[in-house]
Amino acid sequence: MMALSLLPVFEWMESTPVGQGIRQSASLIALVEAVHLIGMTLLLGTLLMVDLSLLGFGIGRAPASRIARELRGWTAAGLAIMLLSGPLMLSSEAVRCYNSPPFWIKMALLAVAVTFHFTTHNRVATQDPPAQHRSAVWTACVSLGLWTSVALAGKAIAIFQQN
Amino acid sequence: MDILSICRWLDSTRLNAAMRMSTWFFPTFDTIHTLGIVLVAGTIMLVDLRLLGVALRREPVAAVVGRIVPWTLRGFALMFVTGTLLFSSEAVKLYHSPAFRIKLGLLALAGLNALIFHLTIYRDVANWDQQAPAPLRARVAGLLSLAFWIAIIAAGRAIAYGSGYDLG
Repeated sequence: MMALSLLPVFEWMESTPVGQGIRQSASLIALVEAVHLIGMTLLLGTLLMVDLSLLGFGIGRAPASRIARELRGWTAAGLAIMLLSGPLMLSSEAVRCYNSPPFWIKMALLAVAVTFHFTTHNRVATQDPPAQHRSAVWTACVSLGLWTSVALAGKAIAIFQQN
Repeated sequence: MDILSICRWLDSTRLNAAMRMSTWFFPTFDTIHTLGIVLVAGTIMLVDLRLLGVALRREPVAAVVGRIVPWTLRGFALMFVTGTLLFSSEAVKLYHSPAFRIKLGLLALAGLNALIFHLTIYRDVANWDQQAPAPLRARVAGLLSLAFWIAIIAAGRAIAYGSGYDLG
């Protein structure tokens, strides 16, 4: 039922001047995808550092909480770049994405990853005194696993293109 | 033997035929290649942001480099091995792609920039380890590195769209 009611929204996205403009220009598609990847680089690079710190492979003796506080703004910036460029990519092929299972898997994983990031991950990573080793390791592994899955599902949208 | 003949020979090999016939080769290696680049660029960006004094200000530069660069090298190994195979699967086409040539040139410049940084100003990092931002020459290296890697990612996307940024 809900899925049925969303199709017109996707059709509308694709019909907007923005959607049509990007769709008709290979250069624009490449550019928006590049921006999306640069956001991902910032997001994953900073998260890797925080999660390594949680795993006990931090920078020198710096507590994980200090690394996490220093980097969380950059992680959020990477996420913001992705959340701005993502819908632009979507608008250029919204109906195809609507019919693409990897797209919906990615959206679901993204929702879980973002929620986890701003709740459990943020709480455990910035905790002072540091969280127990077990919960720190668990949080880091879930974080790295979730975001890698989001990235892989994103790649899968491009790979599985059946009509 | 010129480079184009080498590319023609690569395209004629049985390995090349096997890679082109396979439905899973390109998607799999392209995905690993992308993850490799994200790992390289993502970790290098951390060092660059530290040099510029806009992230990890309280951590010594040498400590950041010591922890991060091994991951950069792992990412580079992934990116290089998969990149070489992806190239051999369509060598002649890439030989003629302006975006591919630009990407290789940018990679060389990024490598040169890192090499110069390590052989010059980084040698006496002990004298400026705690400074945030780092001395001017280190900041310039960081800024160039950021610019090169952003451009490398953009050039990589342009390769995927054939003619690339031909403004067509």
